[in-house]
Amino acid sequence: MDPVAATTLPIPGLLLAGSVAALAASLWLLLPKTSDTVNSRRLGFLLGAAALIGFAATGRSLGGVGEDAVFLTVAGIAVISGLATIVTRSPVYSAIWFAMALAGVSGVLLVLGAQFLGVATIVVYAGAILVMFLFVLMLAQPSGMAPYDRVSNEPMLAAAAGAVLLGLLTLSIGRLSAAEPPACCRLPSRAQAMAAAPTEGAGSEDDRSATLLAPATAGVESVDADEVAHLGAELFGRHLFAVEVAGVLLLVALVGSIAVVSRGEATETDHRRESR
Amino acid sequence: MNLLPSAATLAALVKIGLLVGGLMTAAAYLVLLERWIAAWVQDRRGPNRVGIPLTKIRLFGLGQPLADGLKIILKEDFTPSHVDRVLYNAAPLVILAASLAIFAAIPFGSVLPPLGIPGLPDPVPFLVAPGLDVGVLWVFALSSIAVYGVLLGGWASNNKYGFLGGLRSSAQLVAYEIPLGLGLLGVVLAAGSLRLDTIMNAQAESGVWYAFAQPLGFIVFMVASFAEAARLPFDLPEAEQELVGGYHTEYSGIKLLLFLVAEFLHMITAAFLIVILFLGGWHLWGVTGSSQEIGWIQALLRFGILSGKILGVIVFFMLVRWSWPRFRFDQLMNLAWKVMLPLGLVNLVTVATVEEFRPQLVAALGPGFAHAVAIALPWIACLAGWLVAGVFTPSGTDNTPILTHDPLDIERELAEHERLERSPHDVSPTLAGSR
Repeated sequence: MDPVAATTLPIPGLLLAGSVAALAASLWLLLPKTSDTVNSRRLGFLLGAAALIGFAATGRSLGGVGEDAVFLTVAGIAVISGLATIVTRSPVYSAIWFAMALAGVSGVLLVLGAQFLGVATIVVYAGAILVMFLFVLMLAQPSGMAPYDRVSNEPMLAAAAGAVLLGLLTLSIGRLSAAEPPACCRLPSRAQAMAAAPTEGAGSEDDRSATLLAPATAGVESVDADEVAHLGAELFGRHLFAVEVAGVLLLVALVGSIAVVSRGEATETDHRRESR
Repeated sequence: MNLLPSAATLAALVKIGLLVGGLMTAAAYLVLLERWIAAWVQDRRGPNRVGIPLTKIRLFGLGQPLADGLKIILKEDFTPSHVDRVLYNAAPLVILAASLAIFAAIPFGSVLPPLGIPGLPDPVPFLVAPGLDVGVLWVFALSSIAVYGVLLGGWASNNKYGFLGGLRSSAQLVAYEIPLGLGLLGVVLAAGSLRLDTIMNAQAESGVWYAFAQPLGFIVFMVASFAEAARLPFDLPEAEQELVGGYHTEYSGIKLLLFLVAEFLHMITAAFLIVILFLGGWHLWGVTGSSQEIGWIQALLRFGILSGKILGVIVFFMLVRWSWPRFRFDQLMNLAWKVMLPLGLVNLVTVATVEEFRPQLVAALGPGFAHAVAIALPWIACLAGWLVAGVFTPSGTDNTPILTHDPLDIERELAEHERLERSPHDVSPTLAGSR
């Protein structure tokens, strides 16, 4: 299916339905199951490629996919690595594909101008959480795992649900981006924002918080430096309660894990006492 | 479509070329410097023979890096049959790519005077990606990506030494990222920016380097960056006496070279960060000035001063390598979690307090005295923190065995002995428990 030809299709809905069906079938064929043949995997790969092209074509005909080559590359990396994450057999490879997917997402965020979020994705997820994941996976000897841990639960339902969800998201996001966004949610492009930054600089509350948080950055910086300050002001201003609750939750998890570990040690000393 | 690259793209490419070329040459000659310093510390001569090829001119051994490089590149690139091929080949690429990409956000000078080329920003910054506003985080993110190279290299080698090296290193790097970040946060808080060039400019304008304003943060950051660069006394990932070569035991030829270059780049990155964040970057009192409008002489002078400071920090790294013995793993973790983390928090709280009340201090005491107080408070906190850490020594370990019974209880010892003889593999809980 050629994406350029698909843009002229009168009914993108039909194309979308076809892509959803192809994606569901491909996912079902590719997900780790007890009975796999080489041919079924090959068919799965073919169907998956067709489904991805179909989704891209639908997105273009709905007006949701841009033309930027860098954006398309990083978005493609994110989607394909995401799919590879769930269909790979080896847990270690799965984790590495997941890291690739995160790198793709961070690339998308960087292209869109959200530098802080893009880099923070790498720092928090790829750099910290996933490394611990890999650490545990490598310690846990993936080859020695029980067979029921190596196959996916309910592959058919999961594949169908995932494909339908992706189809619905494509449809709604495509509709949203095709329609003129309401004034509240319209994002200025980077160039517009740069041009507007000096004139908007007076008096507003956002400006006050930005200068409070970043006293040395005024004037020299582009708008993105203020964007970080805005993000901080939002997090520790309006969403302070949520941030604090999340922090306390993490602390509770930490204390809980320490309690579990020290209970293990306590039983050892009990054991010692018994042997005395 | 315009196929010609713009002036900004060309400038970025020129900077990338200069930076990568300079870094690779620097890494090669720093190996020579390291061997010289090692020889000097150990009172021997070190490499002094290789000079100009095919002549007898020795040139103090300055040809050594070339010979070393040629030798390791021409060596057989042997891949053992038991490795996971994809990851085995990917690991050195990941680690080198990550450690080179870090330099996109690291300034290697101040600014060039305006060149007058259309399409270029004036003045031209010594920075590959001047549009990146989260430079500090970028450095942090990519140095955590470099962990993947170590971890995957160790795992893919399918070798117990490599695997242990990879595990040790990932645990060490993840643990020391926290004090590293805490040391960094103090500077970010004081400068109010995540841009490394803005942080340097802030130090140049005030004339107070952050090493003086935040001594505790400087110490914490320095120790953590030693650990992040996996240099002695923190080189457990490749402790030769225990792990042969650590995570790159199975590597040879050019792939080993990539790993070694990446390790050196980590040290150079650490030196850059220490100088930029805490030692004033290109600033030197009375020499460089602090404004952004400068002439060629001052631009080159700033570049030279920055490079000189970095070289000084690297020499310090090398001297430390031959002065301290390696930590044991539990000591390493105790140092990270029980000493460096609390000290980093103390520093952060002190800096936050000083920055919060600086306007009130200036209003109450006048600018000069207020700044003196703002510098004195962190020093008091530093001394207090250091005293507490030294007195309570949470990183010290007691190696005497824990005795769960009276050693003079002969009957019990005999019973235990008999039990062990009956089933020698069943280690008694008392023996397993005594450390």
